[in-house]
Amino acid sequence: MRKNFLNFVSEMICKEADTVFLTVDIGMWAIKDTLSNHSDRCMNIGIFEDGMMSFAAGMSRRGFIPTIFGIQPYLIERALEQIKMDLAYQKLGINVVGTGASCDYSKYGYSHYCPEDAMIIKSIPGCEFIAPGTARQFLQLYHSTYRNGNPTFFRISDHPNKIFDFDVSFGKANIIKNGSKATVVVVSVLLDEVMEACANLDVTVLYYTTLQPFDYVTLKNNCSSKKVLIVEPEFDGTLYYDVCSALKDNAIYIDSVAFPREIFRNYGTYDEKISYYGLNAENVRKKIINLIKE
Amino acid sequence: MNNITKKLRKMALELSYKCNDGNLQSVFSCIDIIWVLYDKVMNWSPQMALDNDRDFFIISKGQATLGLYPVLIEKGMFSYDMIINEIGKFESRYCIQTDITKFAEGGIENNAGSLGHGLPFATGIAYANKIKNIDSMVYVLCGDGEFCEGTMWESLIFAQSKNLDNLCIIVDDNDSVSDMVNLDSLNEKFISFGFDVLEVDGHDVNTIETSLLSLKTLKNRKPKVLIAHTIRGFGSKTMMEDNIWFHKSPNADELKKLTKEVDLF
Repeated sequence: MRKNFLNFVSEMICKEADTVFLTVDIGMWAIKDTLSNHSDRCMNIGIFEDGMMSFAAGMSRRGFIPTIFGIQPYLIERALEQIKMDLAYQKLGINVVGTGASCDYSKYGYSHYCPEDAMIIKSIPGCEFIAPGTARQFLQLYHSTYRNGNPTFFRISDHPNKIFDFDVSFGKANIIKNGSKATVVVVSVLLDEVMEACANLDVTVLYYTTLQPFDYVTLKNNCSSKKVLIVEPEFDGTLYYDVCSALKDNAIYIDSVAFPREIFRNYGTYDEKISYYGLNAENVRKKIINLIKE
Repeated sequence: MNNITKKLRKMALELSYKCNDGNLQSVFSCIDIIWVLYDKVMNWSPQMALDNDRDFFIISKGQATLGLYPVLIEKGMFSYDMIINEIGKFESRYCIQTDITKFAEGGIENNAGSLGHGLPFATGIAYANKIKNIDSMVYVLCGDGEFCEGTMWESLIFAQSKNLDNLCIIVDDNDSVSDMVNLDSLNEKFISFGFDVLEVDGHDVNTIETSLLSLKTLKNRKPKVLIAHTIRGFGSKTMMEDNIWFHKSPNADELKKLTKEVDLF
């Protein structure tokens, strides 16, 4: 995903004179020619995520379309006030692309984890949050939004879906599978696990890559069971508000598979974390079966 | 103090009285600077408030926005009657700070509020103008206390490394920072960061004008700083002596008293 993004950045900077790319000292290896040939609009700006947001807002006010690239917790948590005041409040179109997802930097500790990213950004009105499941989907979603004039946040992952890859649209969920006993709302890179878990089960699977704005209509029209399992690679509860809002006219059962809201004091591998926190096919299947029995 | 800067101060008092809020000490310390910028230095007028090559003024110490409205009224950008009737009301666009989305016709260049945001924002505008080859200056008014914020120093590093000689920082140095920390010499710090620096009496309009004009003509690939030594509440004996006026609006009696003080100053 990261490589595809940086390749696209090079092309964008070369062809579109109103675009600007600011990296916080990562990814330069992939765009070194562009950094050199277009040094005015493609910059390793230095390690100042918070001030950089305000700086990008100033450039946006003058007609440029900035894209910022860095590590998710520094882009979002360190720069939260700048995001709120200089991007959202001023309604400026800036794209923020973060690596690390929830815990891709699995050995670096809590400083590099950011399972709360989507929850934080969704709490700031006017911001968009996109979590593609594959590199192809990232490019589709970036293409369709980077000029839309809104602050848009992308979470890119080093652990994309390997089996399920198809076209997606901004703001629209995909119906992957139709069933009657329950509906699974699955987010981005957990689709492969969910589809393995749902084998031979009579359930609907809805695939979300845009978390803000959330596609209420698709969920409302595809949840006759009134039973929802949310499977999300971020903090538990990130999508509760949206699921409840989509189905607000009915009493519903909701369960979830997600990262727990706690400080992660572990290291190891990404797979170990996924297993430890139960974001795998085995746990998803267990939860769906229990939900169907309710 | 000349008649026009007295008039601006009295207008700021009325605005503060009408909206029942304000940071008047801070407003009075920088209002001479803002006036000189708009009247003598900037390539700006209400008719060119959206022009690509206008000069920009960013108010980074957002608590002093009540000092900007009187200047813009005096220059014909906004109507006094409209602001005095609307300021602070629920649906008004005029208040203690500004929301840039409500000023489509220009006049207000950025949203002012949180400290440490205006300078990096102004740096972004200056850099954008620079790479678009637009000949304009970006002036940004900061407080000395604001330099406790890390984003201020981050911006200095960037501005110097990109040779932004179209950026001019004006420090309203009213000695707020010494109540917090010891910043020592701001002048030496700015020089060490690669800036051209001048220091002035921030209430001497003639010196402010000549200093800003001399900085404007320096096209030497170095960003500029004017350190303006000011006094909180300058123009009112009461406000200069009592720090309660850092955040307080006058009642009707106080409005009369303070207005008279300004006239007599």
